[in-house]
Amino acid sequence: MSLPLAVIFIVSFVVIAGALTLAAFVWAVQTKQFSLKQLNEGANTIFNDDEPIGTPQDMIFNSPADDSPNPR
Amino acid sequence: MTAPTLAREQFVSFAPLSAEEVSEKQHRVRIDESVTSPVVLFFFTGIAWLVIGSLAGLVAALKFNLPDWLGGSPYLTFGRVRPVHLNAVMYGWASLAGAGMIVWLTGRLCRVALQQTWALYVSVVLWNLGVLFGVVALLVGYNQGMEWLEFPKPAGGLIALGFLFFAYSIVMTFRKRQVEHLYVSLWYILASLLWFPILYVVANLGIYSGVTEAAMNWWFGHNALAVWFTPVGLAGAYYFIPKVLGRPIYSYYLGLLGFWAFALFYNWNGIHHLVGGPLPTWLVTVSIVASVMMFVPVMAVAVNHHLTTVGHFRMLKFSPTLRFVVFGSMSYTAVSFQGSIESLRSFSEVAHFTHYTVGHAHLGVYGFLSMILFGAVYYIMPRIAKWEWPYPRLIKVHFWMSAIGVALYVLALNIGGWIQGTMMNNPALPFIASVNATKPYLWARSIGGTMMLIGHLAFAYQFLLIIYRSGPARYVPAWFELREPEAMEAEKTP
Repeated sequence: MSLPLAVIFIVSFVVIAGALTLAAFVWAVQTKQFSLKQLNEGANTIFNDDEPIGTPQDMIFNSPADDSPNPR
Repeated sequence: MTAPTLAREQFVSFAPLSAEEVSEKQHRVRIDESVTSPVVLFFFTGIAWLVIGSLAGLVAALKFNLPDWLGGSPYLTFGRVRPVHLNAVMYGWASLAGAGMIVWLTGRLCRVALQQTWALYVSVVLWNLGVLFGVVALLVGYNQGMEWLEFPKPAGGLIALGFLFFAYSIVMTFRKRQVEHLYVSLWYILASLLWFPILYVVANLGIYSGVTEAAMNWWFGHNALAVWFTPVGLAGAYYFIPKVLGRPIYSYYLGLLGFWAFALFYNWNGIHHLVGGPLPTWLVTVSIVASVMMFVPVMAVAVNHHLTTVGHFRMLKFSPTLRFVVFGSMSYTAVSFQGSIESLRSFSEVAHFTHYTVGHAHLGVYGFLSMILFGAVYYIMPRIAKWEWPYPRLIKVHFWMSAIGVALYVLALNIGGWIQGTMMNNPALPFIASVNATKPYLWARSIGGTMMLIGHLAFAYQFLLIIYRSGPARYVPAWFELREPEAMEAEKTP
């Protein structure tokens, strides 16, 4: 008797998960996440003016004078 | 070990920041400050479980070499210590450290201070109580009898509840985001928050028996990798590789194609663990087909990460974060290709039920995920502790112990497992012959495990130092090797 109950649960949850994933995809299309502009510029969004493209970011400095950190 | 005395000005000189840059920096520092306490708590407890879990793993590995060792104590028999290792590293280390990384990345990628921070404190307490309760229960003999789901249900309930509080804070932060576009790492993070609770709750319902239970077990076991650990690892790789190099990901198109192909194919994979089992043939076949289709998203990730790094491999000589994360990314490609091949019936006939699978799992969870998490911790902690790692040499010890340890472990178990499988398939040979043939490989496994544990102890010690801002103050980056200012300038690419 456990099989039908298991099937009901699994199918229900799979349908819910699938529907939510599909909804996320539709939302992404509607909010233009896949627009040409976004696709061309999206990779740059992790950079900004003080962590710019072209500068390796794996560094951090401490100021020996006043012990105030100056993380980059 | 002494810190280099090279003065900051001698090392590299940056132009003064403009007013706009200062403002951006202040905003970023405020975001980092909002995540500091939760991230440190997630990392700290995760690393504690890493040490406990890897110690248990080493004890379990040594029992293959010395079967009578610690056999007098029921708490330390293989059947208890081994699940303690598995669950402590999966739900303790990998999940908690992954959660810490997600918290930090979400603040950075949404460009907003963390929302509902209290929920993260509740989460870290519930999560750790769940793991602690589960580990103690396993040691005293309570076990659900299913791999990856050994914890008793109350422990699982605490972990699930902890995850929901965690997801609540992340989703609320996401809702307040100050960015229009969702970077690909955020896609992976949000997908894992959506899928993992469903997976974990369904798997723990306890309404299964017989073949259905086996199918559910491997649907869960493989999908724990698919919808939780892999998205976490890839989210980190997609952020840290371009960030450390200072160059955007090579192809953003490939990044999103990889994500959606991953979403489409990965969750069907689990049943390939039951090749030859008493399940409907179509069910196993669908899973094998989906496993082979995983070549699509894996190639997308592999090509993307490789072409982002190409021409800048010299940075691997210096940057700890990059070296750990690139190692993790390469392991992802390797373990995924291996997994696709392993799912084929002809391959599975030999490799299944052998040490080969254990080696494969370690390549995934350690070579891929853990190495990326190590890299993430090395990148994040100096920014939130406002203190540089005091001993780069210890980071080097950690890297090489982990890298050589996991390579030795995986190679030994893959070769030994294959020999074991061919011998077990030969009816002319007694079973004990296959056991004896694996002995040298099991010693190699223990040596690899010992090396990884040494690396973890170096990592944990240095983590304690950085959270207390202890050890020598450093005025230069904690790189493996110091670089001349000219080389640094040359590294800046237009």
